[in-house]
Amino acid sequence: MAKVSVLNVAVLENPSPFHNPFRFEISFECSEALTDDLEWKIIYVGSAESEEFDQILDSVLVGPVPAGRHMFVFQADAPNPSLIPETDAVGVTVVLITCTYHGQEFIRVGYYVNNEYPNPELRENPPLKPDFSQLQRNILASNPRVTRFHINWDNQEDRLEAIENQDPALDYGLPLSYTPAKGLALPGCIPSLLPENSMDCI
Amino acid sequence: MKLLKPTWVNHNGKPIFSVDIHPDGTKFATGGQGQDSGKVVIWNMSPVLQEDDEKDENIPKMLCQMDNHLACVNCVRWSNSGMYLASGGDDKLIMVWKRATYIGPSTVFGSSGKLANVEQWRCVSILRSHSGDVMDVAWSPHDAWLASCSVDNTVVIWNAVKFPEILATLRGHSGLVKGLTWDPVGKYIASQADDRSLKVWRTLDWQLETSITKPFDECGGTTHVLRLSWSPDGHYLVSAHAMNNSGPTAQIIEREGWKTNMDFVGHRKAVTVVKFNPKIFKKKQKNGSSAKPSCPYCCCAVGSKDRSLSVWLTCLKRPLVVIHELFDKSIMDISWTLNGLGILVCSMDGSVAFLDFSQDELGDPLSEEEKSRIHQSTYGKSLAIMTEAQLSTAVIENPEMLKYQRRQQQQQLDQKGATARETASASSVTGVVNGESLEDIRKNLLKKQVETRTADGRRRITPLCIAQLDTGDFSTAFFNSIPLSGSLAGTMLSSHSSQQLLPLDSSTPNSFGASKSCTEPVAATSARPAGESISKDSMIATSTPAALSPSVLTTPSKIEPMKAFDSRFTERSKATPGAPSLTSVTSTAVERLKDHNLVKEMRPRDLLESSSDSDEKVPLAKPSSLSKRKLELEVETVEKKKKGRPRKDSRLLPMSLSVQSPAALTAEKEAMCLSAPALALKLPIPGPQRAFTLQVSSDPSMYIEVENEVTAVGGVKLSRLKCNREGKEWETVLTSRILTAAGSCDVVCVACEKRTLSVFSTCGRRLLPPILLPSPISTLHCTGSYVMALTAAATLSVWDVHRQVVVVKEESLHSILAGNLAAVTFPFWV
Repeated sequence: MAKVSVLNVAVLENPSPFHNPFRFEISFECSEALTDDLEWKIIYVGSAESEEFDQILDSVLVGPVPAGRHMFVFQADAPNPSLIPETDAVGVTVVLITCTYHGQEFIRVGYYVNNEYPNPELRENPPLKPDFSQLQRNILASNPRVTRFHINWDNQEDRLEAIENQDPALDYGLPLSYTPAKGLALPGCIPSLLPENSMDCI
Repeated sequence: MKLLKPTWVNHNGKPIFSVDIHPDGTKFATGGQGQDSGKVVIWNMSPVLQEDDEKDENIPKMLCQMDNHLACVNCVRWSNSGMYLASGGDDKLIMVWKRATYIGPSTVFGSSGKLANVEQWRCVSILRSHSGDVMDVAWSPHDAWLASCSVDNTVVIWNAVKFPEILATLRGHSGLVKGLTWDPVGKYIASQADDRSLKVWRTLDWQLETSITKPFDECGGTTHVLRLSWSPDGHYLVSAHAMNNSGPTAQIIEREGWKTNMDFVGHRKAVTVVKFNPKIFKKKQKNGSSAKPSCPYCCCAVGSKDRSLSVWLTCLKRPLVVIHELFDKSIMDISWTLNGLGILVCSMDGSVAFLDFSQDELGDPLSEEEKSRIHQSTYGKSLAIMTEAQLSTAVIENPEMLKYQRRQQQQQLDQKGATARETASASSVTGVVNGESLEDIRKNLLKKQVETRTADGRRRITPLCIAQLDTGDFSTAFFNSIPLSGSLAGTMLSSHSSQQLLPLDSSTPNSFGASKSCTEPVAATSARPAGESISKDSMIATSTPAALSPSVLTTPSKIEPMKAFDSRFTERSKATPGAPSLTSVTSTAVERLKDHNLVKEMRPRDLLESSSDSDEKVPLAKPSSLSKRKLELEVETVEKKKKGRPRKDSRLLPMSLSVQSPAALTAEKEAMCLSAPALALKLPIPGPQRAFTLQVSSDPSMYIEVENEVTAVGGVKLSRLKCNREGKEWETVLTSRILTAAGSCDVVCVACEKRTLSVFSTCGRRLLPPILLPSPISTLHCTGSYVMALTAAATLSVWDVHRQVVVVKEESLHSILAGNLAAVTFPFWV
């Protein structure tokens, strides 16, 4: 049974200019004191086409974690624009927050991010080369997609077994490679492509 | 009979393996397969019972779902108290759930609104021991144990008050164990397995009582579960899948001799589950017909792989009702409502059916008292079969009852504490943490949070703790130390306050002039007839000196439900002829005392007679080797205790009491012996003396002088109490003759002829208003700030003068003074 359950993730300062750092206020509950730290990561998906363009914006250790409810703010710098394919700069993409314990990922929270020009003129006639300074990032905070994985929370020896027991289908979280063509401005259309069972494996 | 299939109770089409109705009848749990895990769901009962509630969208149907089991859940069972839910599954785990009452998240993060959990159930214990799928779990009567069985061929008995402690692993089955049931009296547990046997195990030593194989010889191991059931009166055990003349049956096994002469016949395929109605019934009395008292009977539901359900009454030869093709697949589990009029049935096809009977169909259910009376007449008094109400007033007859009571009290305390904590944490979650509102904290969280760098240069954030958790109450808080039992603590307070209300005795120095108008102080702690003491009080009395409960004495601070329901559990039904054991005699002694206390005259009994005493109605053939072993064990503990006791506490306060008995024997070992005539008790009263002196201590030198009837003022004779402490003297006068005095370096106290007890400081200040004793004083003693008074009616009271509390309030010592003893040593346990 999961020792840590995420109660809420609040997206702070949203929407904000592209270059502003990401800020998430994460509250979680821990049922038993953890011997080791949790590792949280923010991953920015640069392109739906390939994992190659995923950027780990930051990774922090969180600890010590006694039993109880806790919260912290996870702040990470904006993605490096030079690593984002030009064709993917504007439009919908995804930012992921993952947490691992003993190297095992047990939760993955995905948010749709819409990058667009607030300026109507630019929106109508976007520059060929994206102007990141003009882009605004809007995270669809109301609709997080949460995937939970069973992991081994106890001693190290059993860990192998737990990993073996994991459903391989779930091993790679959001199947972003299936994300439809860009320019689809309504993120609401995408959820059907995400694992439907994601809510059930609490 | 009404039949209903609430379609909204489902696991999205996945099989439901188990169903259990909460003891309070407001909800029920189902267990089975989830999407990619095991699933436990708690449902609201009222939409099942009432159509209006079913239609009302404001009434939630699903209360909580838990997907924590990694694989299919085979069994869900509520504890008898309803506080816990145990679930066992294919992931080899048993999880114990408890409701978290603080306001938790109303929705699961990331889920849409419809999945909101109305109630929050938190897993408080995970029990790991089985090496294969857990097939069935069962709570013992009164929730002392939890049993689980598995395809690893074993049954594991867990200590339910101290999870995850394992008390025993029952080995002996050579096939998958697929069902468990406790004897309602708590003496046995039965298991049924694929090895074509049904085994009955004793809870006394967790050894095999009997293995029944004959009715199962023809069985093929093809059912998913074999849920057997014991009748509420304890007489019958009914198995799942058995065969008779190549037809599937549910075998009836009689408790008496484990005879297998009867069965329930008629199902076309193997019986998967049998469940007795928790009620015992009697024939409905029709108006006008002659009120013939009929035999009480039981009611039993049988579910089968043939998808049909039958309901039987033990007084009828044919089933009361058979419902064919209730489901598309095999029936997996059955649960009765506590009132005995409804059943929920679940099936492998993922649906649930509810049957509602009327009293005309089943009969009049006996009340819990009547049921308990039936139990007691058959099995004697024991813990498992007594109702809550009876237990709180019952005379403690064995250590288990005492333990149970303490546990209850502790639980209540813990609960209160937990509630307090929970409310506190609730307010802190929603409201403030350390005086700061959550909003303020959130605003500044980024600035305030502690961020460090680890050795390898990584960022490390220390999260802000916003609420402590109650991590369930199976914690070590249980029984680690019980300084005083709860009821004592309670009476202590109440008696304390009642004493404060006592009118001041006129003999107080400053109200001396008004002595004439003095009225006898009317105390709330009023006089009690000497004979009437064995009632509610004696129960507490036995719990305090602990002389009667060897196991309590040997491990005073720990409750070990191990050996819990041993012979004393149903002590009347266990005879140990020829070789009396001290402990069993003790328990018999109490009972005997109770039986005879109104008759005041107790006949002499020797050890042999009393231990082989034959009130029993259930003769038990026991392998002699076992009883011998048990005896050795018990004798050993008694001996240990004897050795241990005198040395146990250096503050032991030896005190002699002489009982007016012609044949007074000495020596402590006689204390528990019943061999001499027992008498009605009246302890000696010190006669009034003209004057006496008492040396309290020599360093500092302190002594008390008493002079009775020194003067008379207005017709009232006054007695003088004088105290000298290292040359400093004080004196006071009292309006009644002083019978006895006692003192320590902290207090001086005297007891007067008028039954008043006065307590002074060593400087002469009255520390307490005069206390009216229930009967004349016999012995008075002081140690430190404690004052102990023993009255002629053998009630003991102890006060802590400094804290101004009653430590022991009028506890009757009858039970330990009965018999023939000349000396009693009171351990000073405070």
